[in-house]
Amino acid sequence: MRSSVKRPPTPDAEEEEQDREPTLQEIINIKLIESGEKERLKELLRERLVECGWKDEMKALCRAFARKRGRNNVTVDDLVHVITPKGRGSIHS
Amino acid sequence: MAAPNEDNLSSHSQLSSQFFGELLDSIIVDVASECHRIARLGLDRSLDDEEEELRLSAQARARVADPSSSGETTSKYVLDIFGQTHPPVANEIFECMNCGRSIMAGRFAPHLEKCMGKGRKARLKATRSSTAAQNRYSRGNPLSNHSPSSNSNSMSRLSNGTSHVAGYEYSNGTIEEP
Repeated sequence: MRSSVKRPPTPDAEEEEQDREPTLQEIINIKLIESGEKERLKELLRERLVECGWKDEMKALCRAFARKRGRNNVTVDDLVHVITPKGRGSIHS
Repeated sequence: MAAPNEDNLSSHSQLSSQFFGELLDSIIVDVASECHRIARLGLDRSLDDEEEELRLSAQARARVADPSSSGETTSKYVLDIFGQTHPPVANEIFECMNCGRSIMAGRFAPHLEKCMGKGRKARLKATRSSTAAQNRYSRGNPLSNHSPSSNSNSMSRLSNGTSHVAGYEYSNGTIEEP
């Protein structure tokens, strides 16, 4: 099986390497997750992205890429790399 | 405590944009995963359809360019776009509204010609009943080849100059309409 997803190491290992105490960011992150706020923010962001057509743009990019590569030769990783530059870029305009 | 406040502000915005980036990444992965699934499962019809279209149009072009089989003469056995074959002569049978006989569709036009007027016998048929009408309208002799009397302006002198009754009477077959 192809290893199509290259994931960074899980946060636990990273945390122990860098800091004994969690950074502010991590504290905030944890707090957000715990309170359920992070999930809500994520859904809100998702909704907004759909509304403004961002998701459709990304899907079109993926489709074009899949057409070029051939439908069955595409990996999730490929698609992530296809989308990320344009995806991030078009938001922060 | 002014400085830490400023720091806090910038680090706040830094933190929030960092956090936003994280959220965005997560959503990007979701979208990519969805598209990957669609591509792999062949759910996006347009992906396949385009390839099909390209292939079919190339095929059709090849067939058109091929001069060996033409559709005109051999249309008997060649399929049309719905995959149906048609016989060269239409063979549905129905009743002629003029004479009442049952006619085959493919032979209907020639039959109508004969039946309604182009042929010799039809003209005879027409004039026999129209002479009666003519006699009613004009006392003049309809058998001669005179210039037509003023009764009907659809009558025009035929140039072939036959003394046949039909040549005079019959202009466009509309003298007597069934």
